[in-house]
Amino acid sequence: MTLRDVARVGLVMLAFVAVQQTLMLDLRRGGVHPDIMILLPIVAGIVGGPGRGASMGFWAGLVADLFLPTPFGLSALVGSLIGFGVGAATLALDRSAWWLPPVAALGGSALYELIYAMLGSLLGQPQMLHVQLVRIIVAVSVVNAVLALPALRMVAWALPEASTEGVPTSVVATGGPR
Amino acid sequence: MAMPRRSRRPRTTLLILVLASVTIITLDARGGFHRISSGAKSLSADAFAPVKSGVNDIIEPIGSFLAGSVHYGAVRQQNQKLQQEINQLKQERASQADAEQAMQQLSALLNLPFLPNLQSVPAEVTNYGTSDFAASISISVGRDDGVQLNMPVVGAGGLVGQVVQASHHTATVRLVTDGQSAVGVRYGPAPGSLAVLTGEGSGKPLSADLVPSNTPVTAGEQFVTSGLQGAIYPAGIPVATVVSAKTGSSASQESVELRPAADLAHLRYVSVVLWGPSQ
Repeated sequence: MTLRDVARVGLVMLAFVAVQQTLMLDLRRGGVHPDIMILLPIVAGIVGGPGRGASMGFWAGLVADLFLPTPFGLSALVGSLIGFGVGAATLALDRSAWWLPPVAALGGSALYELIYAMLGSLLGQPQMLHVQLVRIIVAVSVVNAVLALPALRMVAWALPEASTEGVPTSVVATGGPR
Repeated sequence: MAMPRRSRRPRTTLLILVLASVTIITLDARGGFHRISSGAKSLSADAFAPVKSGVNDIIEPIGSFLAGSVHYGAVRQQNQKLQQEINQLKQERASQADAEQAMQQLSALLNLPFLPNLQSVPAEVTNYGTSDFAASISISVGRDDGVQLNMPVVGAGGLVGQVVQASHHTATVRLVTDGQSAVGVRYGPAPGSLAVLTGEGSGKPLSADLVPSNTPVTAGEQFVTSGLQGAIYPAGIPVATVVSAKTGSSASQESVELRPAADLAHLRYVSVVLWGPSQ
């Protein structure tokens, strides 16, 4: 990644944090608010593949952790896993399909919240499994599915050259879908 | 057909990132890294406070304008005018009720019977937590106002929680209902028996530990902070009132459910008690 790419990624991350810390926290309904920081590794996984998805998940997670009372580093860990997972799961798919980002955001966000709660519980925060988990998963996943396309555009702007890393070499050689 | 080979680089990247995350979590939990992470959190809170305030100032009028526009096209001009008047009256009534509620909470905070000789700093609740997985609030005072980590926070009815993060101008308070919260309390006739109240998550009742089976605990009974030596809260602050108590046939402890004494769902203003365990 060039310095310009790093600056762009930083800018996009800053925009996401600003929206999350202002608009999204105020959209709280029934004690639950959306979490758009999860979108970053998911769409980065689609745009740049598993490696970039994992990297974006790590850094976006660390930034998100600065504002959370939950264990520091937990969002980075889960973000890395989800970014890698989404990137790997979408390798063989047509990444230009319009339905892919919302579907990936829906499934990725649900999985993120589930893993987050389970790992948090393992790390000495058992209440994380006893909160209104289903409501959190539904609210976060649906909002993220709706916002997936604009988020994808922003991340695609920040990561202009889609990576071939992790793509099966046979697919790269034949110029197949990325 | 040959199986496609995948590059190993992303897997190596993932492995490194996972190891880095686990290291950060471990160091933070064991305290070695906590000062750094706490400082970074404090810096972020300070840096984002003006951004948050600015964005809210921009968004609020836009939201009102959009809401007004949606209604504008829906009614005829005369009806619209009447509707606007009704809305205005409703808004005035709502804001009056809102102001009355805020005034009530502020007045109650000025005269807290359970804080006779303790200094406190009033604060506005600016947010109901940044995580869906923790019961916390953000308040409008910070280190510049004398707020320190672990200081107790009280509301009109009683204990609200404890300061767990303090930046220059804001602080984060862990509510007593959070799963990580544990409060040493006293109950029953003087000198009172000791117990520990633990949180079960936002909106859920508190539960009591160390209440022996068949202890006569009645609904409505109040549990107050014990104030034992080294306790994290001063003595005598109401924490919760008993909702129900029952003992199972083979249980060694009574199962007690309690409701927080402070109305945590409608907090507008709170007071940070300038008190530490050494006092």
